Formats: sequence, structure tokens, C-alpha cells
Amino acid sequence: MFGRLLWKLVRGSRGRLTVAMVGLISGAAVISALLNLQLDIESKLTKEFRSLGANVVIAPRSAAQTTDAGSATPILFSEGVLLNEIKLRAGDSVTAAAPFLYIVARATGAPVVVAGTNLESLAKLQPAWKLDGQWSANGAAGAPSCVVGRNVASHVHAPLRSSLSLGYEGRAQTCTVTGVLDTGGPEDNQVFLDLAAVQRFADLPGGVSLVQLNVSGSAGDISAAVSRLHSAFPDFDVHPIRQVTEAEGELLNRIRLLIAATIVLILVLTSLCVLATMAALAMERREDVGLMKALGGSISRVVGFFLAEVGILGAVGGLLGCLAGLVLSRWMGERVFSAAISPRWQVFPLTIGLMIVVALAGALPLRLLGRVKPAVILRGE
Amino acid sequence: MFARLVRESFIRNPRRKLLTAAALMVGMAVATATLTVALEVGDRLAREFRNLGANLIVTPESDTLPVEIGGVDYRPVDEGAYLREDDLGKLKMIFWRHNILGFTPFLDVPSQIVPADGAKPVSVTLIGTWYEHPVPVPDGTRFVTGAKATHPWWNVRGRWFHEGANEVLVGDALARTYPGGLSIGQTIDFEPLEPKVATGGLVKLRSLTITGIVSTGGAEDEAVIAPLSVAQELSGHPGQFRQLFVSALTKPADALSERDPATMTPAEHDRWFCSPYISLIAYEINQVLPDTDVHAIRQVADTEGRVLNRVGALLWIVTLAALIAAALAVAATSATTILERRGEIGIMKAIGAANATVAGIFLAEQLMLAVVGGLLGFALGLGLARALGVSIFGSLAEPRLVLLPVILAIAILVAVFGSLVPLRRAAHFDPAPILRGE
Repeated sequence: MFGRLLWKLVRGSRGRLTVAMVGLISGAAVISALLNLQLDIESKLTKEFRSLGANVVIAPRSAAQTTDAGSATPILFSEGVLLNEIKLRAGDSVTAAAPFLYIVARATGAPVVVAGTNLESLAKLQPAWKLDGQWSANGAAGAPSCVVGRNVASHVHAPLRSSLSLGYEGRAQTCTVTGVLDTGGPEDNQVFLDLAAVQRFADLPGGVSLVQLNVSGSAGDISAAVSRLHSAFPDFDVHPIRQVTEAEGELLNRIRLLIAATIVLILVLTSLCVLATMAALAMERREDVGLMKALGGSISRVVGFFLAEVGILGAVGGLLGCLAGLVLSRWMGERVFSAAISPRWQVFPLTIGLMIVVALAGALPLRLLGRVKPAVILRGE
Repeated sequence: MFARLVRESFIRNPRRKLLTAAALMVGMAVATATLTVALEVGDRLAREFRNLGANLIVTPESDTLPVEIGGVDYRPVDEGAYLREDDLGKLKMIFWRHNILGFTPFLDVPSQIVPADGAKPVSVTLIGTWYEHPVPVPDGTRFVTGAKATHPWWNVRGRWFHEGANEVLVGDALARTYPGGLSIGQTIDFEPLEPKVATGGLVKLRSLTITGIVSTGGAEDEAVIAPLSVAQELSGHPGQFRQLFVSALTKPADALSERDPATMTPAEHDRWFCSPYISLIAYEINQVLPDTDVHAIRQVADTEGRVLNRVGALLWIVTLAALIAAALAVAATSATTILERRGEIGIMKAIGAANATVAGIFLAEQLMLAVVGGLLGFALGLGLARALGVSIFGSLAEPRLVLLPVILAIAILVAVFGSLVPLRRAAHFDPAPILRGE
């Protein structure tokens, strides 16, 4: 009986229900898309901030400067152990790590800083650097490939694809320039070679001056990773690059707050819109309420009908809206971040729940109408 | 007659009018607030990004290759080219001078600390710089700038040195590892590593008092930071420095800014010259500081540009969503009030009103509501935007009166379109069943 009446009710007022449904679906779509966006925005933005480069450095604990002017003596620690340990200890939050061994070699008579590193990791560590050429030439036999800073290229005449010879403590090493690097930083004055080649060249097997890491996540995640690394390597100095981490944390916070505030405003507005639609629907049901009461339906039963009707409406509208919201948030992601926003399952129950609550709240005036005498309503007054 | 009908409708049933007006008001308030924030946010965030420090670096053009590891230049002081401190005021004379938020010169002097008890000297890099230095600008004013503006993440325990005084800041790693430790208030003697060059063969000590311990998370933690004038005297290069960091407000890079100005058409060149792109500011700095190499610090400039573009696009989309939600809310309430007044429409039609007259009355009402709701909503929205500005950026968002006509137009559009569909349906109403109460 209950089900049949409900079915008749729904079929009997298809036109109005369609209007309410459209309101519910569009409301739910906007809400679920924005919720999805809000949940994903932090990870999307942190990814953007990764182009700031390394944010954590691991270096040996040094006594006060042990270097002389004109030559920098590398401070060594074994590379193999450390890199494996880092991956093991810090886990997934480390998105890129590169070891560096610095020596001051001579190129055509002038001193130049040569950095031994893993060129592929370096490219991942510093996505903002502009490289003219390639990071490494595949399968190049003979001379190893190297990447030179743009100042080095112009000062020691080492253009792309030329051969650069370096001298260090009487040893010589030639490499083929496969890329010219433009960073705007001190790296413009350095030559980047494969770590193993520099270790051989400088006769410092396994030597590394420092390790730079790119740790993703919020300021809290970064400091957690730093303290984990701290306890893992008590002999080393692990410190975040404050310029990057602090500004990043601050900016992320502000942007998140901004988006969150706007989204809350829109949530309220959309809920109001749905509420208005549902209230209109409820008002139109007055006559049905009157008729049912006249036929002897108890008020709780009658109101139950309508609440069930609106509740189902809210649930169906919410569900369809969520599906539409998925498409919408995907589009937003493509448009803004050129990457799809991954759908979050939490959004579904949240949006559908909100829609049901809003729909029921819209039907509340019905309860008040229930008190009205059936005769008055049936007379059409 | 028309006016009386409209007036009566307002007096008879103020509740319904109130509902529509309230919906309009809330909708337009949200639209105003999001539009104000969206218009303002680029500028605000660009300023926030300046917390990342400098985005341009100026070095001498004819320089030898710097031998720099971890931010410390190991070149001897007599090698390489220098820049002149006197020229720096010109930076505030370029066309985009207001976008130059700060600049700081640096001069690294390899030197050593000579302990008073005759122990072995400890070599250390002495970095000469400014903290809050008044720079005379050629137009007669003074511009106060320094590390405070370009290196805001430098954290000092104690206090900064006074410009030109015999004071120094010590990096916290150095303070910890120095034999016996270094603390605030202590006086230490410095000498340049190559006294021959600097002082013509005479070993000259310079006593400096420690006023603070600096922690930067970079190479400065193992160095000492002194006023630029002290570093210049110590190195024998008065009025000169090696590197200049410039922090400038810039417009995110786009296709135009990446192009070479020489290949642009005159129209493009004008547009390029009227936008504070980082390439344009670099070009202008190069004009006033000849023989320099001005370069954007890629990590900072790129990240800033990308994040600003993304957040801007995001906010516009969210604002669009807000506008659509506001339109839906208003249209829904408008439609409701018209459906509720079917009886009235029936009577009007029964006594001979044309469809056009009925529609005219309703539209006039909606129009009045739209204007009132739009005005109130605009005022409310300004308050909302202000609250948002304070809580997010710590400063007020400027009210933009330009938005008022836009908001009013949106309100009218939404209110009228929202009532068009129900009015069209009302035109098809048969008065008889309505009056029978069916």
C-alpha cells in the first residue's frame, strides 16, 4: 500500500518532480565536484611546488669551514649505504633524491666547479631548470656525457655537442656536452657529470659531499620526514631548505584557505537553492495532504509519505549529481592542473547525505501544513 | 492601474517578496564576494610569493666563472668583476619601479677569525650585505631595502647589525662548532685571507661584535654576515659588490613573455612593454645597470608563475560555479512565488487581462526585487569579501565599485529569466480550473 501510493505520487506529478530533480542534480554536481577539488587540491598544489627544487639536504656534520679559498675539499660519506637507507627510512614522501660530489677542477686553465650526480635524478629533482639538449646521451661510447651551466658554456667555450676536457690533480677527463643548463642560480657555473665518473676522476671512490632530497607533502609531512631522517642518520646534518619549505607551507595554507572559504560559500548557496526547490514542491503537496487527512490518514502516516518521497528524491538526485560531479571535477582538473582529479569515495556519501538532509529540511513546512483542517484545504482556500 | 497592482502585491503579501529578495541578496552577496576575491587574489598571492625571496639575480657581465659551492664563492677577492653600489638607486627609476619590492647586494670575503688567545685561526666566509639600508634614489627620495625584503626566511636570534657599525651576525652552525662556541655580545677579530691584496701587505684585524645568531637553512649557517661596508673595507673593494638579488612583483609568464623582444611586431612589443613580465623587468634592470647579466632565478620564477596561473584559473572556475549556483537559487525561488500565485493569475485572466499584462506585472515586480536584492547583496558581499581578505591574507580586500553594475545586471538577468519559464506556463493556464481550486 505504502509503496503503491508512493509510486502513484511520483508518477502523478512528473512535471514538478523533474524541476526538483534538475535542481537537486545540479546542486549535488556542483557540491561533489567542489568537495573533490578541495580534497585533492593539496596534493595537486604540492606537486606544483615541487618545481621549487630540493627542499631537504643531508650533509655530513662539518666542523667550521674546512675549505681553503680556491679549492673545496669534499667531505665524504659512502653513497651506496645512504641512498638505500633514505629510500627505506623516508618512504614514499621522497619524490626525488640526488647525491652530489663537488670538486673544483680546471677547464682550459680556469677553475670550475664539477658536480658529480645522478643526471636522471637531478632532472627529477629540479623540474624548473631549462635544459637545451639532453640530460644524458644513451649508449654513447667513449667519453661520458656531461651537462654544463650556461656560464660555463660561454666562458670556456663548451657549446652543445662539443668536447670538454677537465683537469684535476694531474688527471684528465674529457666529456661530451649533451646539454646546456639555464637555472638562474649557481648551477649556471657548474659542470654536471655522472657521479661514478667524478668519483673515479677525483679518486674518491664512494665519495659524496651531500644529498639533496625532494620531499612532497605539507609542512608537517616535511618536518616529519626530516625528523625520521634525523634519527636514522645521527651522524649527519639533515636540514630542510627553509627558503623553500617555509614559503611553500605558508602559501599552500593561504591558497587552501581561500579555496575552502569559497567552496563553503557555494555549498551554502547550493543547499539554499535545493532547499527552495524542495520547499516549493512541498507547498504544492498541500492538497494531497488535505485529501489524505480527509480519507482518515493519520498525520504521521501522511507526512511519512512525503518525507519518504522527498528522501528518495534527494538520494536519487544526489547520486546522479555525484556522477555528474565526477565529470565536472575531471574537467576542472584538466582545465586547471592539466591532470584529472582523482575521485574520492568519501565525496559520494557526503554529497548524497547532504542532499537528503536538505531535501527533508525543504519538506518541513509540510508538518506545519498538516495541522491545517482538511476541509479548508479541500475547499481550495 | 499597473503601478497600483504592483504596489498592492507588495503590500498584500510581503512574505513571498521577502523570500525572493532574500534569495537574490544571498546569491548576489556570494557572487560579489567571490568576484572581489578572484579579482584581487593574483596580486595578493604574487606578494605572498615574494616570501620565497628574490626572483632575479644580477651579476657582472665580464665576470670570471664563479667557483661557488653551496652559496659560497671561493674565488679570491682580487679575481672577477664587481658591481658599483652607487648605481643601485637607479633601480627605483625604471618604468616598473613600483614592482621592485627590494634588492640586496652581496659580497663574500674569504677570511678567518683570529682568536685573541693566539690559537689557530678559523677560516670562514664573511658575507657583506644590507639589512635595512637607505638607498638614495636619483629623484631625491630614499628607498629602504635589504635582506629583510629579499631574504625573509632568515631567522635571527638576538638582533640584526646596524648598517655600517662594527657588528656581525654568526651562522648558527658556526656558533655551535667554533672551538669554545660563539655567543651574542662577544667580540671577534677578523682578517681577510689575502691581506696582501686587501691592505697592501699589512695584516689588519677588524674587531666585530656579535649581535645575533642567524639561521637560514643554507650556506649562511656556516658563515658570518656583516654590514656591506665592513666587508668592502675588509676586502679592499670600497663601494663594490659581487651579486645583487632583486625581488620583483611580476606577471606570470605566458607565450608572449617567452619570446625575444626583437622578433615582436610593434603591437606585441607594446603589450609586452606594458606587462610586468620578469623578462621585461630583467631587461629594464639591464638598461640602468650596464655591463651586468640579469637573470631570472628559474625555480622561483617558474613555480610562482605556474601556481599563480593555476590558482587564478581555479578561482575563476569556482566563481563561475558560485554564479551558476546563485542563478539557480534565485530562479528557483522566483519560479516558486509565481507558481504560488496561480490563483491571482487566474482571476486576472478571468476579468480580461491579456497574457502580456500579467507577464508585465510580474516582471516589473521581479525587476524591483532584483534591484533591491542586488544592492543589499552587493553591500553584504563587500563585507563578506572583507572578512575573507582579513582571514586569508591578513589585509582587507579593496571594495570594487566597478562590480556594482555587473552584480545588478546579473541580479536582473537571473530574476527575469528565472520567472520567464513559470510565466510562460502561466500563459497557458486556463482560468476556470484554477478558480475552481483544482
